[in-house]
Amino acid sequence: MRRRIRRRYAAERRFRLLGLGAILLSAAFLAFLLVTMVSNGLGGFRQTEIRVDIDFAANTLSAASAGGEIEAAVAAAAEAQYGPGGARALSDTAWLRVERAIEDDPSILARKKALWLPAASAIDGAAKGDGDGEAEALVTRLEQDDAIRTGFNTDFLTGADATDPAAVGIWGAFKGSLLTMLVTLAIAFPVGVLSAVYLEEYAPRNRWTDMIEVSINNLAAVPSIIFGLLGLAVFLNTFHLPRSAPLVGGLTLALMTMPVIVIAGRNAIKSVPPSIRDAALGIGASKVQVVFHHVLPLALPGILTGTIIGMARALGETAPLLMIGMRAFIATPPDGITSPASVLPVQIFLWSDEVSRGFVEKTSAAIIVLLAFLLAMNGLAIFLRNKFERRW
Amino acid sequence: MNSMTDTVAATPLRNDAAAKMTAREVSVFYGAKKAVDSVSIDISQDNVTAFIGPSGCGKSTFLRTLNRMNDTIANARVEGQIVLDGEDIYAPAMDVVQLRARVGMVFQKPNPFPKSIYENVAYGPRIHGLADGRAQMDEIVERSLKRAGLWEEVKDRLQDSGTALSGGQQQRLCIARAIAVDPEVILMDEPCSALDPIATARIEELIHELRGRYAIVIVTHNMQQAARVSQRTAFFHLGSLVEYGETSEIFTNPRVERTKDYITGRYG
Amino acid sequence: MSSLALFLLVVALAALGWLMARARATAFRRGGSAPRAHSLPSYHGWYVALWTAVPALIFIAVWTPLSANLVMDEVMSAPAAASLPPFEMQRVAILREAREIAEGIRPGGFHPESNALAPAYADALSRTRTMGAVVALLLAFAGGAFAFTRVSPHFRARTRVERLVMAALLGASTIAILTTLGIIASLLFESARFFSLVDPLEFLFGTHWSPQIAIRADQAGASGGFGAIPLFWGTIFIGAIIAMLVAIPLGLMSAIYLTQYARPAVRRWMKPLLEMLAGVPTVVYGYFAALTVAPAVRDFGKAIGIASATSESALAAGLVMGIMIIPFVSSMADDSINAVPQAMRDGSLAMGATTSETIRRVIVPAALPGVVGGVLLAVSRAIGETMIVVMAAGLAANLTANPFASVTTVTTQIVQLLTGDQEFDSAKTLAAFALGLVLFVVTLLLNIVALRVVKKYREAYE
Repeated sequence: MRRRIRRRYAAERRFRLLGLGAILLSAAFLAFLLVTMVSNGLGGFRQTEIRVDIDFAANTLSAASAGGEIEAAVAAAAEAQYGPGGARALSDTAWLRVERAIEDDPSILARKKALWLPAASAIDGAAKGDGDGEAEALVTRLEQDDAIRTGFNTDFLTGADATDPAAVGIWGAFKGSLLTMLVTLAIAFPVGVLSAVYLEEYAPRNRWTDMIEVSINNLAAVPSIIFGLLGLAVFLNTFHLPRSAPLVGGLTLALMTMPVIVIAGRNAIKSVPPSIRDAALGIGASKVQVVFHHVLPLALPGILTGTIIGMARALGETAPLLMIGMRAFIATPPDGITSPASVLPVQIFLWSDEVSRGFVEKTSAAIIVLLAFLLAMNGLAIFLRNKFERRW
Repeated sequence: MNSMTDTVAATPLRNDAAAKMTAREVSVFYGAKKAVDSVSIDISQDNVTAFIGPSGCGKSTFLRTLNRMNDTIANARVEGQIVLDGEDIYAPAMDVVQLRARVGMVFQKPNPFPKSIYENVAYGPRIHGLADGRAQMDEIVERSLKRAGLWEEVKDRLQDSGTALSGGQQQRLCIARAIAVDPEVILMDEPCSALDPIATARIEELIHELRGRYAIVIVTHNMQQAARVSQRTAFFHLGSLVEYGETSEIFTNPRVERTKDYITGRYG
Repeated sequence: MSSLALFLLVVALAALGWLMARARATAFRRGGSAPRAHSLPSYHGWYVALWTAVPALIFIAVWTPLSANLVMDEVMSAPAAASLPPFEMQRVAILREAREIAEGIRPGGFHPESNALAPAYADALSRTRTMGAVVALLLAFAGGAFAFTRVSPHFRARTRVERLVMAALLGASTIAILTTLGIIASLLFESARFFSLVDPLEFLFGTHWSPQIAIRADQAGASGGFGAIPLFWGTIFIGAIIAMLVAIPLGLMSAIYLTQYARPAVRRWMKPLLEMLAGVPTVVYGYFAALTVAPAVRDFGKAIGIASATSESALAAGLVMGIMIIPFVSSMADDSINAVPQAMRDGSLAMGATTSETIRRVIVPAALPGVVGGVLLAVSRAIGETMIVVMAAGLAANLTANPFASVTTVTTQIVQLLTGDQEFDSAKTLAAFALGLVLFVVTLLLNIVALRVVKKYREAYE
């Protein structure tokens, strides 16, 4: 008997450990994923620069020089300083920085000036400890000359997509995401809130209302890629809206986000006690006034929390945007909701497809930016919920 | 079977000279269920009228028909006629919002808005456009709070939340809120049932003070309260109006057996 | 006048109408002709403003796209349009240039034709724009004036305004229905076109998937290229088998631990942590799968002697998808376990059963329908998931049960068929819609069944 009890207790302990193990394993997956991304991506926020002495006076450069001339001059200077192959040590877009330097201070055209220019991807990798022999040898040489440094990569935070991994930036995709989210919010929020109000406060119990409810509950469960197909068939092929524009992306994501907002909104509205409605009705407020003066303000924190969560989901969404053509190479940040744009998750997807090694750290760095953005949004939602949550 | 329980005895006081509201043959249905059965009653302008009866007898339901609060219940249906100063309140031309401004309501549980005390009172006048400018609104708020006997207690903290007050104070705030839109009739649906005895006494006192200025109808399941605050009493049972008369009459000399049984505590 | 300026003008007119009507209604009140007017002055203001703005704005919304076509027609009928090249892309470029010249955005065109077309363009533009502006402003004035004449002490402006608000609410809620109808219509319509090219039976039961062949111009019937069974199998293999083998044990055991064993503090921290797994964007999982998991799985496969192990294995995609699904399973299981009445648990414990025996013999069987419903929802979620399989699973339509081999899924193929250069009418792109239709129907059915099961289960304990 005692042995039997001991065996049962052992089984009990095993079961308990199994449960704990399941949780810890899940948490470990999350931690592993985050650590992988961070350790791969942190390098993306740093940039290797090489000092190049450019004798502007010796060249025939002027303030009006075309890009090609500057590029040639920079290449020549690098070759002169670091021998053959020196030009290849610089990023394809290094000359842009020279051009900017000339714009900032035209007087350097008459002088010899040392400029720090972004290194090519291979050199960048070697400087961060991940390169081939040739690049590493060059880095060692440059280090002896004090001609190489690694600093914070402002280009990454301010630039857009490029073919050279050393020159890519996230700002273009970030801005595209912002514009897309703006369109999504501008449509999904009012439509979602008004639908929630209608269904919760006014809708008569009839077949039409049932149809609306069934639609909303089903839309919340439809795979996101289906919304992409809808966007492709309706917005692009029927209405001929511009491809890969934040407008179409935002519209598509709005249709996807709206059910989330409706469901959250209905729950928030439902939690406003009926006595508040009675009170307002009792002194002669109309039904519309009751809703807009009392119910909605009280339900707003809940609605906002739901909206932010829906928006966070839309922000991380990739598949529907691929369907509407948002996978083009866009080298400039969009300047409006109708110009071609990329968004953060699509940019991640595009970079992840690149073969060049330099893109690994950039992809991970972009993921860090996306996760930080999402974390901020969810933090805001939790803050709102804790601050304004009301127990009746 | 007692011969006294006949409906003839329950005929309301008709042709009341000071009748503010009159109801004729009013029935209320929830779906197929009849909650109020053919009630006819006159509500007098100068008196406090109490509706008493066991729970579920339809007194609250009937009260809510007087300012059409039943409209908010999806499957509720009202038959018969209710007239306020000669106007049929269920006529299509009657605007329910204006009706409720004239016939205010105080609810069972105090339900202040989760806003400041000032805003609670000012909300009604604001939506009805009763005040031109801040000064006039201040005046209305002060007058209403004074009439509700709350001014002295809250005058220094008008910006505090209305929900931070005690239960009795909240209920007086709700009365002030109802008064602020300058109604003609005030309906009170068991206004003291959620309050302690001291707060209850304060409210009853207040009802005395308000009498005459407003026609007041109060639903209560507390017979002592009905006896204390009202001049007229109507006894409801199983959806019908059993007996209606002077409060003193009803409590000392009821004409219907059912009324007597209820008042003497045999059921309810 | 551009649409934006016109829009602003109409809004300004509406604001003016608002102010005037409000002033008039206020005067009535002051004049004492209406001691208890029905509506506040501001409602009279809104009434007039809405009558001014809404018809005019609706007109602008209809006119703006319509006028673009009118302009185009007029430009194309101009004599200068005769010299346009027949090649579509050039034509579009020239027309865009001409438009930009006409609007003064650029001084001159790169193509000589666009310079010639510009005057005609400018003409047509200004004509349609003037026409639109005149009609819109007339509508605004007429609406505003009509509404203004109705402002009177006894006019029930509030009721009218509120009626419009109700219409807006109803309109907003119908968008959900329109979206659903839009999805169904576009999927059905494009699928019907696809099935006019490809036999539906072939599509549903064929085992040979190679859509690339079909775009060859000489192969009209696309025979044999669109058998979707390998796709369906791949989807089930990854989403419903491998992912669930990961997610069900981990999710269920997590839920059991959190609800039955964990202290409240642990529960408060671990639950959001698990939910974070659901908040990570799928593209991140996809990258994680492709970058880290897939090579590890391949190496492992090679190490245990499976020569065919590829870096686009079903196992890698399924594993990562399973991780993503854990929080769905665990939160549904959590709900179902919590719904089991305490009395059942107490009954078992009182007989001397240990906690784990109670869980295994009483709670889990009682909660099973809820858990099954949750698993069905999770499956529906998994088979609709796109990015993980696009990035980590392959494109080869293999009909294999070898987890180290590459399989492809419905969603992967939809993305594959619709991206890159394609004409919209080819069987290849239409096939994506047919796949979408299948995916839509299957996920919908799974959801309906799952919700039924969960609901029945809830009712049983209420």
